[in-house]
Amino acid sequence: MADKRITIQATRFDPEKDEKPHLQSYDIPFTDESMVVLDALNHIKSYVDGSLSYRWSCRMGICGSCGMMVNGTPKLTCSAFLRDYWPHKIVVEPLNNFPVIRDLVIDMEDFMHKLKSVKPWIIRKQEIPLGAGAHRQLPAQIEEFRQFSECINCMLCYSACPVYGLNDKFLGPAAIALARRYTLDSRDEGLKQRLPVIAEAEGVWECSFVGECSVVCPKGVDPAKAIQQSKLDTTLRFTLPYGNRD
Amino acid sequence: MPAGWWLRKRHYFMYVVREFTALPMALWLLWLLFDIKSAGAGPAGFQPPRSTGFVIFSAVCLVFAMYHSWTFLKLAGVIIHLNVLDKPVPPRLIVFTMFALWALASIVIGAVLIGFGR
Repeated sequence: MADKRITIQATRFDPEKDEKPHLQSYDIPFTDESMVVLDALNHIKSYVDGSLSYRWSCRMGICGSCGMMVNGTPKLTCSAFLRDYWPHKIVVEPLNNFPVIRDLVIDMEDFMHKLKSVKPWIIRKQEIPLGAGAHRQLPAQIEEFRQFSECINCMLCYSACPVYGLNDKFLGPAAIALARRYTLDSRDEGLKQRLPVIAEAEGVWECSFVGECSVVCPKGVDPAKAIQQSKLDTTLRFTLPYGNRD
Repeated sequence: MPAGWWLRKRHYFMYVVREFTALPMALWLLWLLFDIKSAGAGPAGFQPPRSTGFVIFSAVCLVFAMYHSWTFLKLAGVIIHLNVLDKPVPPRLIVFTMFALWALASIVIGAVLIGFGR
């Protein structure tokens, strides 16, 4: 076990020196069956090449910051085990469909802007005063939106979505899933504020249901479901008598 | 996006196949519209295609139409979010209902076409 090794090929890109990204190989010890790709990157950064840049934080699939392409598939590197790839090499690249800032670090500005545009927070027409106590919900009401609230904004779904890859104006899976999460929340009254963004041609209607967003989601969220349900809802609101009521 | 993005994964490939099935169906329906227009001129103007090639093309279109319908209807349980008496309708029941309605509509349309044909 002590001699076991694995090759990691990581994207390197320095915008001040390189014209385009290229792969660099690192041969590192594979000392523990519980090692993940993020551990391998941390080993490279600590012992081999301190200039390698990438994002990470919690190491436990919660923060959503360590998403990268692992052998061509968007994954959280903290939950991609080396044992699933060994003895083959692992190619680690920045998430597809986003501009690269440096090495494995992508520019997430577009996603942050889109996320903000759907107002992913509870909107009330009239705030309930804190003194009124908790705003209670039944378990069935929580079940309505629970799975969509699991989203950790890791952007793997954007990276897997060819529609977003072909048209970056598309609002995208995670933003729509989170809009859906608040729309289904019995405490929320902000649907009409979100509709102008969601019901746009480049909102839900740009999606042609590839479904890969739901396949790659590390938290079991089903953004494709959120998008298709939102399509049906917006259509019914438009066509049914009194459909556009609050 | 590279031009061959849809060849990278089986899932992408099947998606493109699903979307492509609409194209031959659209061509077939255009042909049908043309035939209907010709029928407006009376029996003399109506010359339905009887060539082997057209029959094969129609058969291929039928397979595509069935594949497209099947892939669409099996997702109905994901898309439709219905509550009856404050309880969610199970997705399987929604899918079953959709397929049953599809079969019923096919039988009715088939019967009407055969009826007119006689």
